[in-house]
Amino acid sequence: MIRLQNIEKVYRTDTIETLALNSISLDIAKGEFLSIMGPSGCGKSTLLNIMGLLDTPSKGDIKISDQKTDHLSDKQLAQFRNQKLGFIFQSYHLINDLQVLDNVELPLLYRNTTAKERKMLATEALEKVGLSNRIKHFPTQLSGGQRQRVAIARAIVGRPEIILADEPTGNLDSAMGNEIMDILINLNRNEGTTIVMVTHDENMAHKTHRLVRLFDGSQVQ
Amino acid sequence: MMFKHLFKLIWNKKKQNFLLMTEMLFSFLVLFAVFTLLVYYYDNYKKPMGFEYQNVWVISYNNAYQTKNADSLNNYYGILRKSIKAMPEVRELSFCSFNTPFSNNMSQGRVTYHKKEFYHMNFYTADDSYQATMNMQVLEGRWFNKTDVVAKDKPIVINSDTKEQLFGKGTAVGQLIVNGDDKDKMMRVIGVVQSIKVKGDYAPAGLGLYQRADTGSLRWFGKIMVQVVPGVSAAFEGRLYKTMANYMKDSNIEIEHLTNKRTSINYFTLIPMIVLSIVGGFLVINVALGLFGVLWYNINQRRGEIGLRRAVGASGNAVSSQLIYESMILATLSLIVGSFFAVQFPLLNVFDLSAGIYISAMLLAIIFIYLLVFVCSLYPGRQAAAIYPAVALHEE
Repeated sequence: MIRLQNIEKVYRTDTIETLALNSISLDIAKGEFLSIMGPSGCGKSTLLNIMGLLDTPSKGDIKISDQKTDHLSDKQLAQFRNQKLGFIFQSYHLINDLQVLDNVELPLLYRNTTAKERKMLATEALEKVGLSNRIKHFPTQLSGGQRQRVAIARAIVGRPEIILADEPTGNLDSAMGNEIMDILINLNRNEGTTIVMVTHDENMAHKTHRLVRLFDGSQVQ
Repeated sequence: MMFKHLFKLIWNKKKQNFLLMTEMLFSFLVLFAVFTLLVYYYDNYKKPMGFEYQNVWVISYNNAYQTKNADSLNNYYGILRKSIKAMPEVRELSFCSFNTPFSNNMSQGRVTYHKKEFYHMNFYTADDSYQATMNMQVLEGRWFNKTDVVAKDKPIVINSDTKEQLFGKGTAVGQLIVNGDDKDKMMRVIGVVQSIKVKGDYAPAGLGLYQRADTGSLRWFGKIMVQVVPGVSAAFEGRLYKTMANYMKDSNIEIEHLTNKRTSINYFTLIPMIVLSIVGGFLVINVALGLFGVLWYNINQRRGEIGLRRAVGASGNAVSSQLIYESMILATLSLIVGSFFAVQFPLLNVFDLSAGIYISAMLLAIIFIYLLVFVCSLYPGRQAAAIYPAVALHEE
C-alpha cells in the first residue's frame, strides 16, 4: 500500500544542515496497522508527513497505492490526499467556528458531492465514532476525547484507504486514549483501512500489527 | 457548495468580523458621497453650455447716466451702442441685468403655473440682441423683438430646463405663467432657448426666465455683453475701454472675458469635489491598509486551519481563493447594509438630485469596494497559499 525507498530528509538553513531521516525503507501492506515509535525529534512526524504527501523527501522514492507521487502537481497532490488519505492529529485541528457536522464534512467540500450526500456521509461517520448526538455542537463544547473522535470521523468521512495518525492519544488520558485506540482498531479490522500511527505509548503501539522504531532519523527496528 | 460553507464560517465569526465589516460599510458610504458628487458634476459637464462664450466679453459699469426722461435715456444708451457697434472688431452687443454667465450674481424668484409653484427661478433681463450676442439656440418660438412692446401680457423667453419642468413634452409657446402668485402679473411664453450653464461646466443650468429689457431697465443695468471677432488684439480691448471711459466719465469700467470667468468659476465648483476626493482618497488608502493588515493577521491566526485544509484536499490556489471569497462575502454583507442606507437618498429625494445619479454612484461605490477588497486580499491570499502544511499543522 505504501512503499518508501531510501527516504532521506535534510533540513537546511544558512549555517546548519540537519538530517531528519536517513535512508528509511518501509513497505506497508494493505490493511496493515503499523505504529512508529521513537524519542522526540527522531523524525517520526517527518516520516508521517512524507507518507501523507504534506512534505517532500530530499532523496528517495515514495509509492502509495502503486502510484509514484513525485511528479504530481500541487493540485494533483491535494486531490490525491483528499481521495486516498485521512489524517488524525494530536491537537485535533478542528475548526472551532464550525459545528461538528461541518468539521466532519470538510474533506468532502473538496470533492464533487452534493450537500445532501455530504450530510449523509458525515452523519454516518459520526455514528461510527459514537457522536451522532453532538452534530450541532461546536468543538469548544466537547471534551478532548470527543474532539479526537470528531477528528477521526473527519478522517474517515471520505472513505480513504490509508489513515495517518500523529499521536492520536497524546493529549488524552488513558481511558479516553483506549477508546480512541479501539475505534482505530475497529476501523482497521472492519473496514480494512491501512493505518500508520505515530505514538509515544508502548501499550498503544503493541496493539498494532507492527512496530517501527526510529532513532536519530534512522530505522532501528 | 463552498459559498455556503464560507458563509457559515463568517457568520459564526461575526463578532470578530464586525469591525472589518463596519470599516467596509463606512468606506462605502464615503465613496457613495464622493461618487454622487463626481457623477453629478460629470452629468452637468456632459450637458451643452448653451451658448458660445469664447469671444464674448462682459463690460461692467456703474454710476450710469441717470435721468427721468425716457427719451434722453434711450438716446444716451443708443449713442453708446452705436459707438461700440461701429468698431469693426465688435459683432454684436447687448445690455443686460447684472446676473451674467459665470458671475456668481443671481436674481431668483418664484413662478406659478396651474397652481403649482416653482422656486429658484432665475430671472434675467436682456434686450433684443442678447440672444444673437450670446449665440443662444432658440428651440421653440422666438427671441424678443420690437413687436413685444405692444404685447398684452408681458412676454418672456424660458430656458429648456424650465420648459421641461413646467410643460414636460408639451408646447410652451403661448402658455401663461404667473410671476410669484400675483395673478395680475401674467407672463406669456414667446420662446424657449437652450439652457445656459451660468455657474460653469460642472453646475446645472437651473430654471431660467428672460424678461425683455424696457427703457426703465437701462437705469439699473450695469452690464454689456459684447461679442467680438475671434483673435482680437489687446489694443482693441484698450480702445474699447477708452471708448467706455470717455463716454461714462464717472463710472468704473471693467472688461472681463467670459473664457477667464468660466475658468475661475469652474475652480470654485471643483474645490469641494477636490477636497472630498482627497478625503475619500485618504480614507480608501486607510481602509486598504486596514483590510490588508486584518487579512494578513487573520492568515497568521489561521495557519492551523490552512494547514488542515491543505491536508484534507485543498490546493494552494483553493486556499488562496477561499480567503479572497471570504473577503468578498464580508464586503457583500457590508454593501447590503450600505446599499440600504444609500437607497434612501433617491427614495426620499434628498438634495433634489435625480435617482440616476444616486444609482450610478451606488454602483460605482460597490464596484470600487469589491475591487479594493479583491486587490487587498490578493497578496495575503497568496501568502496563505504558500504556507507549508506540514509546518502549519505542527505549530499548534
